[in-house]
This record gives sequence, C-alpha cells and structure tokens, in this order.
Amino acid sequence: MADAQPAPAASGDLDFDALLAPGAQPPGAPAPRLGPTASEPGPASTLTAPASVGHEEHPTWQDFADNWPLYRDPVACGVVAGAVLGALGVFVVLRRAVFVTAAVSQSAALGVALAFLLGIHLGVTPPPVLCAFLLALAATGVLAWRSPSTRLPREAIVGLLYVVASALAVLVGDRIAQEAEDINAILFGTAVLVRPEDLLAVLVVSGLVLGALAALYRGLVFAGFDPDGARIQGLPVARIELALWTLVALEVSVTTRAIGALPVFAFSVLPAMAALRASSRLPSALLLAGVFGALSGGLGYLSAFLLRFPVGAAEACVAAVLFSLAVLLARLRT
Amino acid sequence: MMPARDLSRPELFRCQQLRVGISGRAILPAIDLSISAGQFWAVLGRNGAGKTTWLRTLLGLLPPVSGSVRSVSDVRVSYLPQRSGLDDLYPLLAREVVSLGAERGWSFVGMTGSAARRARAQRALGEVGAQDFAERPFRSLSEGQKQRVLFARLVAGEAEVAILDEPTSAMDRIAEREAFELIRELQSKHGLAVLVVSHYLSIVREFADRALLLDADAEQVVVGTTAQVFEHPAFRRRYGDLAAGAAHG
Repeated sequence: MADAQPAPAASGDLDFDALLAPGAQPPGAPAPRLGPTASEPGPASTLTAPASVGHEEHPTWQDFADNWPLYRDPVACGVVAGAVLGALGVFVVLRRAVFVTAAVSQSAALGVALAFLLGIHLGVTPPPVLCAFLLALAATGVLAWRSPSTRLPREAIVGLLYVVASALAVLVGDRIAQEAEDINAILFGTAVLVRPEDLLAVLVVSGLVLGALAALYRGLVFAGFDPDGARIQGLPVARIELALWTLVALEVSVTTRAIGALPVFAFSVLPAMAALRASSRLPSALLLAGVFGALSGGLGYLSAFLLRFPVGAAEACVAAVLFSLAVLLARLRT
Repeated sequence: MMPARDLSRPELFRCQQLRVGISGRAILPAIDLSISAGQFWAVLGRNGAGKTTWLRTLLGLLPPVSGSVRSVSDVRVSYLPQRSGLDDLYPLLAREVVSLGAERGWSFVGMTGSAARRARAQRALGEVGAQDFAERPFRSLSEGQKQRVLFARLVAGEAEVAILDEPTSAMDRIAEREAFELIRELQSKHGLAVLVVSHYLSIVREFADRALLLDADAEQVVVGTTAQVFEHPAFRRRYGDLAAGAAHG
C-alpha cells in the first residue's frame, strides 16, 4: 500500500486545506466521493469557504461550527459507521476473527476500485457499493470454506486474502488515479466529504444490520460461546455464522465506500476491544462499543479538521486512544 | 455383549452396527446399544480410546462411518462439554448461560420472552443450589460452580438426555462426588437419561448402571451393565490394578 501514488490532480485529494482555502468552492466536480455534483445539489453547494483561514494557520472550532452544514454528512457517516461497526465488532472480536474484517474491508475497497476501473473501460460504472459487497461476500465465502485437504490454519488464508486484495486495490488504483478517483481515499479514508447517496446507504444498511443483530442476538451468543452445545440443541450454527459474516460484509462494503477501508477496520476492532475491556456484561459491551465507535467517528473527523490530519487515520487513532483509556480505566478499577 | 433393552422405559437413542471414525476410517468395531430414559451410562476408555469420537457421532456432530444412530424425534439433549468447549472470552452472567439451555432450533430469533426466560433460569439455578451465582460472571466462577451452572442449564432446557464429557476432570474428590450426586438427583427427579464420560472408575462404579468400554488400540468394545463391564477381561486388561480396586468398590 505504501506504493500507492496519489494523483496530484485527482479531486479525491481534496482535503480540509483545499476546502478551507480562500475562494475555494465546495466540491462540485464529477468526483463520486467528494460531495454533490452539479446535477446533485447538496449542502456543500450552498457554502462558501471561510476566508479567514489560510494554509499556514490551523482551522478553529469556530471554522468547523460556521461550516457545519458542509461537515454534517461526513460526521454523521463516521458516527453511524463507528457505532454499528463497533457493535458488530464485539462479535468479531469474541470470535477471534479480527483480521477477517481487515481482509474483508480490503476486498470491499478492491470492489470499489474495480467498479471505477470498469466504468473507465466500459463507459458505465457499476454501483461501487454493489461491487464492494460482492467482493466482501466472496472474501467471506473463501474464509468460511474449509477444504478437508487444506492443511493451513484460517489465519494463513486471512493473510493471503489481505495481501492479494490490498495489492490488487493498489494496482487498480494506479489505473484509476488519473481519472478522478483516488485510491488513498478508498483505502485510507482521506476524503473529507461523503456523497449524499453514500450517507443514505450507510444509514439504511446500518439500520438493517442493527435490527438483524438484535433479532439474532441469542443465537449469535450461543453459537459463539458453546458451538457444540448449540448444535446439539438444534440451533443452525452454520447459518448463524453465515448470517453474522454476511452482516459484516454488508456493513463493511457500504462503509468502506463512504469512509475508506482503514477506518472501517479500526471501527470493527478497537471500539469492541475497548468495550469488552471496560464491561463485564455482553449487552453493555455492545452498547459501549457503539458509543466508542460513534465517538471515534465524530471526534476523529473533528480532530482531522482541527489538526489537518487525514480523516481516516485520525478516526483510527481516536479509536486507539479510546481503547487505551478503557484499558487504563479498567486497570485503575481493579 | 449387549444388555437386553429395558422395555419399561422409552428408548431415546439406538445405535445399530454403528462404526465411528475420522475421515471415513473406522477406529472402533461396530457398536449396538440402546439408551432409554432414566438410565445412567458411563463411557469408559483410556486417552485416545475413541470416546469423544463416539460421543460426537452419537450427537450428530460427526457422520458415522457405517451403521446408524436413531433417536426419537424432538428428543431434548443437553450437552456439558469439557472445560475447553466453552469460550471464557464471552462476558456472560451465570443466569445468561443457564438461559441458553432453553433455546431449541430457531427459538433464538426475536426479542420477546426475556422475563419468562429469566424466571426459568432462576428456578433452574435454585434447583441445583446455584442461585447465589446467578448474577456473577460465568468466567469468574470456580470449576465446581461452573459445573453447577451447567447442570442448571440442562434443567432449564427440560432435557431428556444429559451428555457430560468428563464433567469432573477439574474437581477435587469431594467436589466430584457432590457433582455426581447432583447428577443422580436430577436424573431421578426428571427421569433423565445420563451419559457420562469419566476416568474415575470408583465413582462410575457407584453411580452408573450401564457402561460402554471403548478401546481403539485393541479394536474392542464392551457394552453391558456396569458390573458386567467391570468384570470383563478387556476392562481388566486395560485398567490393570485399578480395575480390581474399582470392581470391588
């Protein structure tokens, strides 16, 4: 991934500096990741950039508040994605499958990049979220499938999948970089804005995923805690696991499209780890993980704005800080 | 050797010419046996004798190499795994673990009935004398306390068959005896069929009325009453001096 060469001219590179530069216009370019297009008027099109902020000085809280309508959608997206991935991540962490999410989110990122590549070559771009979901689901299927002749642990397959998906995403990214899409935005979540349709997809899918988690809660707990006992009592353990990983693939694919693979992986792991460290009950761990995830999304975006950091990395770092605080508090409590 | 079926009690499981193994390769001779309500079975054998493979085949977790396992439809089976079978990472209260016993098939779907499940779990915990642990994290309990909670789980599930895989392996002698006494109490109260995998011969001799001896190395299987199995030459050959001590209590 370090080899990724962001295209200087690509609109996917638009960051807070560009947004806040005097005379800068909110994104209206054809870039699919960066706010409304000319035919899709959105909140960004009604804004003017704050003239008081130059490139040399850090933006202030006041700048953020003044331009809240511009940042409302990406903050909402980060908060919702963080909350739902956080709750979902509790089951991922409890199943000791943390890096499965990394491989799945990289596969989703590859799906998004492939959609744009197909668009360049075919003239018609398939829905990136659909491509992300298909690739994420395929990755999940590969990880779930165990051939009796394979003598490799699942971790090895996860590693293979992660490397292949990451490398292919960078290769495909190299081919789409000159066309308006920035692979860094897809992989690391460097884009500062979210398209309205991406936010809508995140809201709808996240609602469905939360509903499904609530409905399947007891089955997910039993199948993870005592899989043999659950099977013997007639629970469809394989289908429950399939449902869990389909939910992961679904949530990861829409959120990867909207905010990038790195923060998605961070939200799937760190808030759950923090919550499981801080709570001794599963329902409260789920709730806490949601809160930690939402805070990571919201505060991560704000800190990226104030400190001129890339958004995805800032969100991941805030999630890591919250995890450290949870560990510290848990130690102090005991 | 196969004991005559007890016709006064309903048959719950029947193994007919059942051969068990791994990857299609049988590790034991064919087994014929019938498990009826109210019976107390001990499954015996040294390490590597095929006990776990046989048990997993009986429970449908492994396919038989040949032959069949038949059970009455909708028989309610509860399984108490070895310690390693439960994931201590899950932050569950004891009563939440007990509640899992009531789940069957797709009953877990939905968000209703939590009060009824909770009341049922509390009753089951009370029945096994574990009500004091109800609100404690399961993973923080001692092995003996965990075992009691798992007994409550099978009570909450109104199990007809309880299958216990080395339930007392982490207990001292006193706790082990208390656990077996509790199993027998639940068996007589609820008419349970009990299958226990255990290495403790003297305890097995005292509590079980049927026994199955498995020996993959000698490719031998002995089925019968506990007394018959303990007197069998294969048992004596496998357990040596321990067999003599156990056979005479």
